[in-house]
Amino acid sequence: MPDGILLNLTPMNRFKARPSTLSSVEKLVKIILWCATYFVIACALGIFADIFVKGAPVVFQKTPPFINVPFLTELPETLVIFEPGPGETLKLNEKAFDRFRSRNVQVAFTSEKVDANGMVSFTVEERKALQIGQSFYRDEFLASNPGFKPISESSASYSGGGILGPIVGTVLLTTIAVVVALFIGVAAAVFLNEYSSGGPFIDTIRLAILNLAGVPSIVFGLFGLGLFCLALGWGTSMLSGGFTLAVMILPVIITASEESLKAIPKGFREASLALGATKWQTIRKAVLPYAMPGILTASVLGVTRVAGETAPIMFTAAVAAKDKLPWENLGDGGFFSQSVQSLPYHIFTVSARIPQTEYTRPMQYGSVFVFMVMVMCLSGLSVWMRTHYRGKLKW
Amino acid sequence: MPASTSEKPVSVSRFQEKGFRFLGLTFQDVIRYFFGGNASLAIVALLLICVFLIREAWLFFPTHRHDLAIFRQTGVEYVDLMLQEGIAHKEAYTLLNQAYLAELNEPSQSVAAILLAHQQVALEVSKANQRTVDDWKKADDAGKVALRTRWVEGAEKALDQNETWNVEVARFEWTGDLRQKMRQAVLEEGPGGDEKSPFIAELEERKAQIFAETSERLKPFNAIKLAFRNAGRPLDALTDELAKIAKENRELASTFSSAPERKEALLEGAAMETDPVIKARKVAEAEAIVMVAPDYASLTRPFYDSVPKHDAVNTALRSDLAGILATFPEPGTLQTELGRKNLRLAHKSTEQLLGKLKLAAADVKAWRHDAKVGFGAAVTSFFFGKRWITNSSWQDFYGVLPLFSGSLIIALIAMVVAVPFSIASAIYVNQLASFKEQSFVKPTIEFIGAIPSVVLGFFGIMVLGTTLRDVSQLEWLSWVPGFPMQERLTMLNAGLLLAFMAIPTIFTLAEDAINNVPHAFTESSFALGATKLQTVFRVILPTALSGIIAAILLGFGRIIGETMVVLLVAGNKIQIPDFNAGLGVIAQPAHTMTGIIAQELGEVERGSLHWRALFMVGMVLFVISLIINYIAQWVVKRFHKV
Repeated sequence: MPDGILLNLTPMNRFKARPSTLSSVEKLVKIILWCATYFVIACALGIFADIFVKGAPVVFQKTPPFINVPFLTELPETLVIFEPGPGETLKLNEKAFDRFRSRNVQVAFTSEKVDANGMVSFTVEERKALQIGQSFYRDEFLASNPGFKPISESSASYSGGGILGPIVGTVLLTTIAVVVALFIGVAAAVFLNEYSSGGPFIDTIRLAILNLAGVPSIVFGLFGLGLFCLALGWGTSMLSGGFTLAVMILPVIITASEESLKAIPKGFREASLALGATKWQTIRKAVLPYAMPGILTASVLGVTRVAGETAPIMFTAAVAAKDKLPWENLGDGGFFSQSVQSLPYHIFTVSARIPQTEYTRPMQYGSVFVFMVMVMCLSGLSVWMRTHYRGKLKW
Repeated sequence: MPASTSEKPVSVSRFQEKGFRFLGLTFQDVIRYFFGGNASLAIVALLLICVFLIREAWLFFPTHRHDLAIFRQTGVEYVDLMLQEGIAHKEAYTLLNQAYLAELNEPSQSVAAILLAHQQVALEVSKANQRTVDDWKKADDAGKVALRTRWVEGAEKALDQNETWNVEVARFEWTGDLRQKMRQAVLEEGPGGDEKSPFIAELEERKAQIFAETSERLKPFNAIKLAFRNAGRPLDALTDELAKIAKENRELASTFSSAPERKEALLEGAAMETDPVIKARKVAEAEAIVMVAPDYASLTRPFYDSVPKHDAVNTALRSDLAGILATFPEPGTLQTELGRKNLRLAHKSTEQLLGKLKLAAADVKAWRHDAKVGFGAAVTSFFFGKRWITNSSWQDFYGVLPLFSGSLIIALIAMVVAVPFSIASAIYVNQLASFKEQSFVKPTIEFIGAIPSVVLGFFGIMVLGTTLRDVSQLEWLSWVPGFPMQERLTMLNAGLLLAFMAIPTIFTLAEDAINNVPHAFTESSFALGATKLQTVFRVILPTALSGIIAAILLGFGRIIGETMVVLLVAGNKIQIPDFNAGLGVIAQPAHTMTGIIAQELGEVERGSLHWRALFMVGMVLFVISLIINYIAQWVVKRFHKV
């Protein structure tokens, strides 16, 4: 029956995969690979989520202007926690607390005024304000002055105020580093790609760049301390830190700039030279403008890396406490020779070098949140630049 | 014009540039050299790193050698040998004692937990009624009656709140009518804190009774434990006695070594002085400074004299310990897991202790104060020294081994975790994922690399540490080595975070390597009928292997040089990890080479031995990074066939 044969043949596809042990093993392996990949991504998302959930409430608020302005516009301060009445807790920055105390001298004195013998002593101004003698026994004083309330206070260093100082410091350090590194790095890349013609010298330079990229960041810190701070006598300053960071990202900038120089077709250079332009004119007019987007992308990448580094600036530039912004302190030695606060170092300080209490949490998560947002913006910028310019430049 | 051409033969190229020259260089040359100079800055930077590390570190070995020589001459080294015996003995005793305490406390633990919970609840209640408690202290008997009512009201209010019952006591839960009984007990006790409710009194009595029974039962164990401790007494007494002499000797030695400086300072002061009387006095003072080296032979006489005594003490201790070791209870007879574990460890460490004591006895006998301290000793005591002790009142040691082992173990943990994940994702993304998936996964993983290390360290302290410790307490995970963990900040914690940092590095480079495998390879494999995964595992991976190995090596280099995560998370305990724990070693805290520099450099006086030691550690790190880089490049060159 020919009809029957035809009917039998039509639905059968000879190339259709048949189930076998091999294919199920392959499926399993694929699933394992998939799981490994997405596990890594899930971990990353977990970390972001934790930081964002706990950090965002510090920086944003429900009432207008919706952003916690003091957190972004004040300098870090010591936070004082005290109980003005039973069951209520107040948090004030140190300066504000001092003001509060001097204003409320009639109703409150703090536990620090009480010495080991239970004696309370007052300052001259307070005595004047209260019209009282010099010192009393705590209990007697409270008994005769029922309006007074003893308050006990505790303090948490660096946990009050805002993080303007660290943000400014990070921006300054990063700017110095990137300007210096871009200048040297682009020049080096131009030499390697446009002028060099191989040879042992070039090989040595390439080897040095490769090795420089692998040096641990703390070793750069030691180097910066030895060269910039001590040998050149710059001390703990913005300039020392900036230059240390510049040396550190030099390999990144050179490699990336060279890549973007390489991507420019040979024809550009040849056409320019054929028109009688000199080498330098060719580089300036026919090569660098087209390589610029790539170089800028590289520099943004460099910024991302520099902004996050702590170890190299620990001994060369960063300090934990500073009560003035860099431009408010021009008196001694100039703008660039002062030490600065920096956001990663600030995070290190508040998360490892001070006693941990619940009152330090907002500062910790707030700083980390702001820092992550900064880094993410920079990363996003570099990704956007890459795709944007790749679409625009076509040859 | 042919005539003029023949007249004036062309000596210069027509294309040579005319115009401004500076030092014989044209403008173009200047630009060229400018660029070249910038490029060679890479070499200069690398050289400068070498120079400045060496500049600060090179005097380390001579200074260290001098320090070691004084250590030996003054006899501090001799006493240190004994001190180490004592420390080893105490370590073994601590383990034994922990086993005993675990046994002793176990039976009464459930009752003790309830009592502890009661204390906490009572504390919460009196905190909430602070005013009443304060007044109670001042009130007379009549006033107390009124206060009592106030107290009951306040206490009831506090007891109605759930937070009051939030107690943190190990192995304790509010079960049955316990909460009701506790409430009654707290109310009965009043604000004074000196009354006892019958419920609590009964519990306390029961606890005491169980405790008494247990200690009666454990009497033999206790006797063994005490005998173990007391066996070390003679050694400790001898060490104390000799340590005093050693310290005096060292005092003399340091006075002597600073003498020239002091003399110079006094003479300088005298030269500046105008008043002749003071001047004469200062000069006389300067002359009076003794510049004669102390006579170390006579100073160390007491040590040589004490050798027979130490020998006797040592032999006695050994025979005592061997005897006590034979009477150790069988671990099987103990009732608690912790007790059994500690007893086994104590057994092992006592055996090691016996060996150590024997060696120490020989060392003490062989010790000579005038044996030369060679340069090699200074070098080996740095690279193979097992102690990194600084700012100590006894003697500073700069042995890099504890730091190196910490760095290495953390890096190994990180690699074990990071390599499978990053290579699996590289294969998945490059070979199996769709284009759309690729363009999402790749930037995301690359973005992980942009997370600053201090943020990861912060996350490790705040979240991962606690989470890991809590997870490790789960019953069904107890097979994992090192679980349950006691600490929050451990090598495991640091290793996991570093793995997370290394994944982007390894992933990117490995993905590149896989991507560079020529298409012809894949296509021929398919043409032969291989499946996708067969092609991946038998054709693509072997071809890309050199690149993948280089990627792993570079990832390793990045991890071992990482500072902030290990400084924040690794626990910063300077000791060689205890390998008796097997793989469980990962649950211990450690310190690292990078961490020690970051932690200590800020507080050290410039140019001191400690400062130089830290720069030496920096040198070691630098050399390690260069070696890893070199091997990675060699692998790529050697095996790069395509």
